[in-house]
Amino acid sequence: MSDNSANIAVVGMPASGKTTYLAALWHMVREAGAVTALSFESLSDGNYEHLNALAKLWRQGKIQQRTQLAGMRTVSMRLRSGNGQPVQIMFPDVPGEDFSRMWEKRDLDKGMVETLTAPFILLLVNGDTIQLPAWVVERQALAKAMGLPLQSPAAGIEWSADLAPTQVKVVDLLQMLMVDELDVGPRRLALVISAWDRVADEELTPTELLSTKLPLLDQYLRSGRDPWTWSVWGVSAQGGIYEDPEKGEKFAATDALRDLDRASDRIKVVRDGATSSDITRPLDWLIS
Amino acid sequence: MASQPRTCGNGDCNLATDEKCVEGYPLEECPHVGRISIEDIQEVRDDAEPTVIAETTIQLDSGEPLDRETAASLQRRRLSRAIGLIGPNDSGKTSLIASLYDLFQSGPVSGVSFAGSNTLIGFEKVCHLARAVSRRVKPHTQRTSVGADATFFHLDLHQEESGLVSFFIGDRSGEDYLAATDELARADEFFELRRADCVTLLVNGEQLADGEKRHDVKAMTPQIVDALVEAKSVCEGCRLAVVLTKKDVVIASPHVERVTREFEALVAQIKDAHSGYLGEIRAFTVAASPQDCEDVARGEGIGDLLRFWIEVPPSPAVEEFRSRAAMPRMIDRFGHDGEGDQ
Repeated sequence: MSDNSANIAVVGMPASGKTTYLAALWHMVREAGAVTALSFESLSDGNYEHLNALAKLWRQGKIQQRTQLAGMRTVSMRLRSGNGQPVQIMFPDVPGEDFSRMWEKRDLDKGMVETLTAPFILLLVNGDTIQLPAWVVERQALAKAMGLPLQSPAAGIEWSADLAPTQVKVVDLLQMLMVDELDVGPRRLALVISAWDRVADEELTPTELLSTKLPLLDQYLRSGRDPWTWSVWGVSAQGGIYEDPEKGEKFAATDALRDLDRASDRIKVVRDGATSSDITRPLDWLIS
Repeated sequence: MASQPRTCGNGDCNLATDEKCVEGYPLEECPHVGRISIEDIQEVRDDAEPTVIAETTIQLDSGEPLDRETAASLQRRRLSRAIGLIGPNDSGKTSLIASLYDLFQSGPVSGVSFAGSNTLIGFEKVCHLARAVSRRVKPHTQRTSVGADATFFHLDLHQEESGLVSFFIGDRSGEDYLAATDELARADEFFELRRADCVTLLVNGEQLADGEKRHDVKAMTPQIVDALVEAKSVCEGCRLAVVLTKKDVVIASPHVERVTREFEALVAQIKDAHSGYLGEIRAFTVAASPQDCEDVARGEGIGDLLRFWIEVPPSPAVEEFRSRAAMPRMIDRFGHDGEGDQ
């Protein structure tokens, strides 16, 4: 890695929004007139076919196809920081299944070690699909109070690791990044709550959402047991619902996004009250 | 297809080239035809490189409860507390462990925050049957295997005033603890208690409210403590929490006052017998995994117990033991069977 390059690992469970984030980022840094903390410097010798394909779908309001399950692609962008310094940023685009496997199978592909020892971690958690823990007694009391039928005794489900709450999986992932082969000492972590448009109605700041929807993760980070320098962001990289072309979906809400003058106006980046459309801000914070 | 040349097990025979048996037998009668000569067998070369299959994955921590060596290793990282949980089977030991962990799922407990754990898979497993995702009608907890060595659940906790503290909570089958009342020598096996900063004795509230079982509970509970103290399985000065479990069942029974009275008498009996040997003895009432939450909250009383655990001043024996923590043998941290107090 050269002196002016920054290796950022984009980390997250399946469907956490990693690919959509990259698509919006690539579009925005190349969009004419966009004002961003990190701006486009130049094309390097890399192959931009993958990034261009992602950005094209994003602009059209079509959902990203899932990152291929086997292997990963490393995408590279040559950007310029606020003080004019060129920065080469490399993002290994790793399938989310590789991260869920770390929790469920308790092993790690050796090919991921270089990625996961990056000094900067961009961790995405889909705010719209957070699995909160719920308890039998409280669920039954709620059903009783609402006059709903109680669950059948025959419907028991055996334990499996994938049933764990989102916050437990994320805490364990961060713990794993701090031990043994992956331990590289203190690191910076940008925790991005993605699909922010889907949780915006709750009128919580990202920090408040962390403490109310992911309290175990909040406690873990605040305790300072592991040396993370962290910040939490809310990001809507799409701005709303996108269509699945394979299902022939057509939504008026997607048309409304397409009607915006600038495609990057769809993007919302929130950090404790301050809102912008600059999707490079979490990255700028990471490498600053 | 061309036929293969015939072979002979006799090294002097040239059957393969001249088609004749050196001993003069017709070929169909020769006992050596078709056998492999010893000279045909190639020697195995000792210097041949063994086939190496490249390992492509790295094994990560299992996340399961820890054995004593692993727990001992982790104990050295920071200030730690070892908690021994004892009680007859079905007194609620695993439910208590599961409930404490599950309370942290919703936020800090009594001002104490979760800071990490090496046994998240183990916690998730013991919590499953009380979680809605199990689709059960009533919460349930799996029992700990009888006869298995004790294992340890690990929690790193953070408190403003005391900073980070690692907790190691011992888990062993209730039947094994009861066995110590039959045969004192069995108490020597309880390495998880020998160096515990705080021992927590569970008294089954449901059984204390049950007319048929209450006298057994009243008789056996002090006998467990007697056996552990007699065998010096708990160290001198160790504090003891006596916990009445299943509060939800107790308050739903028609014998609330009787249970309360008899539990207080039980605690008083233990204090009378052992306050000279043990440190502070304090009573608690908990509802770790209530069957409904109309009259008690899930995890009620656990926070008070946690404060007792975290505030435990290490006993002199434990302090002496900590000074040995720099010893190279990790297994020493929880002591060997029969090692005793040294």
